[in-house]
Amino acid sequence: MKTISLKVNGIAKEITIEDNELLLNVLREKLGITSVKAACWRGECGLCTVLLDGIPVKSCMTLAVEADGKEVITAEGLYFDEKAKKLMESFVKHGAMQCGFCTPAFVVTSHYVLTKNPEIDGEELKKELNGVICRCGTYYQIYEAVKDAEKYYKKETKS
Amino acid sequence: MSFTTPYFTLPKFTYLKPKKLEDALSLLRQYRGKAKIMAGGIMLINLMKERKISPEYVIDIKGIEELKKISKTENGIKIGSAVTAIELQSYQIIRDNLPALAKAASYMGDRTLQHTVTIGGNISVGMPSTDGLPALMSMDSLLTIKSLDGERTIPASELVIGFGRTSLKDDEMITEIVVPYSRGFKGTYLKLINASEVAIATVAVSVLLKEKKLTVVIGAIAPRPYYFDHKSLQWNWEASLSENIKNASEIIGSSVKPMSDAVAGSEYRKEVSKVLAARALKEVFGGA
Repeated sequence: MKTISLKVNGIAKEITIEDNELLLNVLREKLGITSVKAACWRGECGLCTVLLDGIPVKSCMTLAVEADGKEVITAEGLYFDEKAKKLMESFVKHGAMQCGFCTPAFVVTSHYVLTKNPEIDGEELKKELNGVICRCGTYYQIYEAVKDAEKYYKKETKS
Repeated sequence: MSFTTPYFTLPKFTYLKPKKLEDALSLLRQYRGKAKIMAGGIMLINLMKERKISPEYVIDIKGIEELKKISKTENGIKIGSAVTAIELQSYQIIRDNLPALAKAASYMGDRTLQHTVTIGGNISVGMPSTDGLPALMSMDSLLTIKSLDGERTIPASELVIGFGRTSLKDDEMITEIVVPYSRGFKGTYLKLINASEVAIATVAVSVLLKEKKLTVVIGAIAPRPYYFDHKSLQWNWEASLSENIKNASEIIGSSVKPMSDAVAGSEYRKEVSKVLAARALKEVFGGA
């Protein structure tokens, strides 16, 4: 048992964990963050993607102890980010989901991508999102939604 | 990767995160045989979930700064073993000088995992599915291996000795990769994967134009990658490119003995190797 301190969606937390616990389990079971989905458990589907110090990682492939001293951001936390909120609205506008199970992971990953490069080339964008799987196959709508949200991430021109 | 039922938990272990390389090496010695190195941890965590390995200690080397450096020296380009696949694709020094490695890195897992996957981890698991090893072998790279006793250097081609087995001793780790060339050479990396994203074959080609040196490495078809050079391929620098490529792919086809598994059969892998090798050679020599 050891205690780690981390920031989750802006809130500082201290949690007692075992060395062999996965970040996924800790987020879902100890912190009640359920936008982080548990599906394949082997790093393939990407539905458990979170931002760890701003970088997308699959939380089923990350030890909870690795998050010690770091900041975790999930879809819940992004709701308070102005740009990400627009991105989420764009997902709704474009119907970029059917069952919605993969949506949080796509939102988190595309938020990272657009923050890094809001003028990303279409083919590059597809490559950047290839770590998350949508079993309903709404990839086209997701692509459209993210492309449409680019404008919110571009540096403010004069309004 | 195998198709066994996934487990949802990891076996018990103690997590250690040294900040210095010397500390990591002494931990490796202290817990010799009971410890595993973790960098990206993708392969390690999956193997632990499947209970294929249950180390008592996991030594996370992500905190060791000197393993994350890339530098250009007169001896070539040096890459720390904990450099990630994303870094290999984004650093100008790699993209400009070692395109085959940058391309191989773009195949190491999906985009999200590439933030985590490291070059050292990718090659040191010793699985045929590695993308890094064929690329490094094609560029005659050297691996710096350290233990508490000191360091030794081996050619990348001598790392893997069998399926999932490497020549690393249980208190040793790869600390650095040295690619001896930095200019006047071209390279590429091609891969054929099936729908479940498991490699059927990979081909890495490197050409040193100035010294007329050519290497072709075929990976993913056998426990160890196959290495060919201009001599074994009977490359005739005076002859036409199409003739050379035809000849080389026939030689490759008749020398490789691919494995058959759930992903692809031996004969299919052999054909794919010939086709990919021809395509890669065309790309590197520019058309024809």
